[in-house]
Amino acid sequence: MGRWGIAHVYASFNNVIITITDLTGAETIARSSGGMVTKSAKDEGSPYSAMRVAQRVAEIAKEKGIDSVHIKVRGKGGTGSKSPGPGAQAAIRALVRAGLKVGRIEDATPIPHDGGRRKGGKRGRRV
Amino acid sequence: MRYIKIPRERIGVLIGHEGETKKTLEERSKVHLTIDSKLGEVQIDDTESTDPLMGLKTENIVQAIGRGFSPEHALKLLDDNAYFLMFDLRDYVGKKETHIKRVKARVIGRKGRTKQILEEMTNSLISVYGHTISVITSVEYIETIRSAIEMVIFGSKHSTVYRFLERKRKEQEFSDFNR
Repeated sequence: MGRWGIAHVYASFNNVIITITDLTGAETIARSSGGMVTKSAKDEGSPYSAMRVAQRVAEIAKEKGIDSVHIKVRGKGGTGSKSPGPGAQAAIRALVRAGLKVGRIEDATPIPHDGGRRKGGKRGRRV
Repeated sequence: MRYIKIPRERIGVLIGHEGETKKTLEERSKVHLTIDSKLGEVQIDDTESTDPLMGLKTENIVQAIGRGFSPEHALKLLDDNAYFLMFDLRDYVGKKETHIKRVKARVIGRKGRTKQILEEMTNSLISVYGHTISVITSVEYIETIRSAIEMVIFGSKHSTVYRFLERKRKEQEFSDFNR
């Protein structure tokens, strides 16, 4: 026993999605997101719901025989914010607490090589 | 292993007097820092650390020191509830020196009044340095301080921002009360 997996943690300001896959990344083993653990939309990206999401995926993954994971954290990326949102730290901590062994942690936020135009238009966001 | 680059003039602060700051940081976080003082590159080696989050936290701390925070304040990021936010003003107003200066002045306010109010109302620390505004805050205030600073950057009247903060604080107290 003791299969490895990869935990893909996507933490934006509005949501947290965790997908645990095998090492190739092609086979999904467990998946959960902010909306599955909380009722109000504004809490989806909060650290507390990130914790609950992590606990859920950890449980399913352990049932299926994954007991150690590498972690890939990503934020919104692209034209958006380059750093992971508030849920990332909480999620990683909860994965550790849930009894999964953690190997490497990597930042997988997509960084543009000067890609698209930022949203908001020429005159910026007008509130 | 992680790499970040900080301004060269901040390298001295990161190392501290006779390496004091660097030593404290390494002791408290159990990571190893390799600092290139010519280029300003910092290499964070977290392979020996037992806490998997330490690498990320140390990266934030080094980044915070690089963005103008004092080491004492930056070390608050070791706490689980602390959160580091950075605004790059060039994303908002372009890279023109005068525009950046104007927005920086708006955030600081006369004799630092605005900055002081922002800090006090959300229990955070703000550093305005170069073309960035960085904030160390706790989890429950992330959204509030983020929107408040964005309001100031986008040109809201200061009184509007203060009113917004006042309202948010009341909501916070109310939700704390309900819990």
